[in-house]
Amino acid sequence: MKRISSLSFFAVILLLLSSSVTFAQVQARVRIIEASNEGFAVDPILRDVHSQLGSLFSFTSYRLLKDANLGLVGNRPVEVPVRPGKSVEVTLIGEYKNLVELRIRIKREGVSVLSTHVRLTSERTILIGGPRQGEGTLIFAISARF
Amino acid sequence: MKESCSGELLERFFDGEVTEGERSLVEGHLSYCRTCQHALKSMEGLRHLIKAPVDEVDEKENLYWVWQRIEREIQSREKPPWKEIVWHWLDVTSMLRKRVWVPAAAAIVAILLALAPSLLKKTPSSSDLSVVEYVESQSYNVMVYESEKENVTVIWLLESPEMEGAPQS
Repeated sequence: MKRISSLSFFAVILLLLSSSVTFAQVQARVRIIEASNEGFAVDPILRDVHSQLGSLFSFTSYRLLKDANLGLVGNRPVEVPVRPGKSVEVTLIGEYKNLVELRIRIKREGVSVLSTHVRLTSERTILIGGPRQGEGTLIFAISARF
Repeated sequence: MKESCSGELLERFFDGEVTEGERSLVEGHLSYCRTCQHALKSMEGLRHLIKAPVDEVDEKENLYWVWQRIEREIQSREKPPWKEIVWHWLDVTSMLRKRVWVPAAAAIVAILLALAPSLLKKTPSSSDLSVVEYVESQSYNVMVYESEKENVTVIWLLESPEMEGAPQS
């Protein structure tokens, strides 16, 4: 009985160690931006996005609609609503020493209009843009910190 | 012993296990019964014969101090090293002897199988991979732009062939 208890103890310790490796939490930041050519206002918090997109796109105005920090745990999707009927869903599907793997879905009326699988280092930002939002265009800036 | 004599009562009297009434009765009887007087003397002689050697030893040796020495000896025995304590706790040798290692090995294999996906998962280096592993859309045409200089990756959804809001370059 004593030996079985010892064995069970080590098995539990090993399982706990393995689970702690698999399910370490990753912090992700999702900024939802409305870019347009109406005016020339750029939210100060979006200067980095503006500098990254400025050479690629002709938008003159960048307005922050939402800034969400997500605690991601393995294979558990986290959904961020944008507007009624529109949302972005982020799922942590892999974690390595120097990068994370994320599945990102843009949803409209509950249906995925874009599904992508990306690998991000902690310095890199992925920008997903294009869907119309009023007179402007929606841009999702997603980065991870780990 | 006469018919009125009771050997059993006399023995209990000798051992001090009689009531007050029995004691008076026996003492009254002993005052005149030579047989019982003789039997009582025999019992006393026998007791002395047995007890004398024990008393003699007790006088020569102080048993209390002997026992004290034994206790000190037990307490002063050296404690086993911690490795031996851990080994004894794990009791690996008896596990092997009793073949408990069969289920133990099965448990280890099961744990390794459970851990295999995370242990064997290849860690990609950041230099030899693309940021976008795959992208799929039923509603849009998709353009992917990766900039190493800006440390940014852009996925752009194109709603129409005119590509409103598309890159300048």
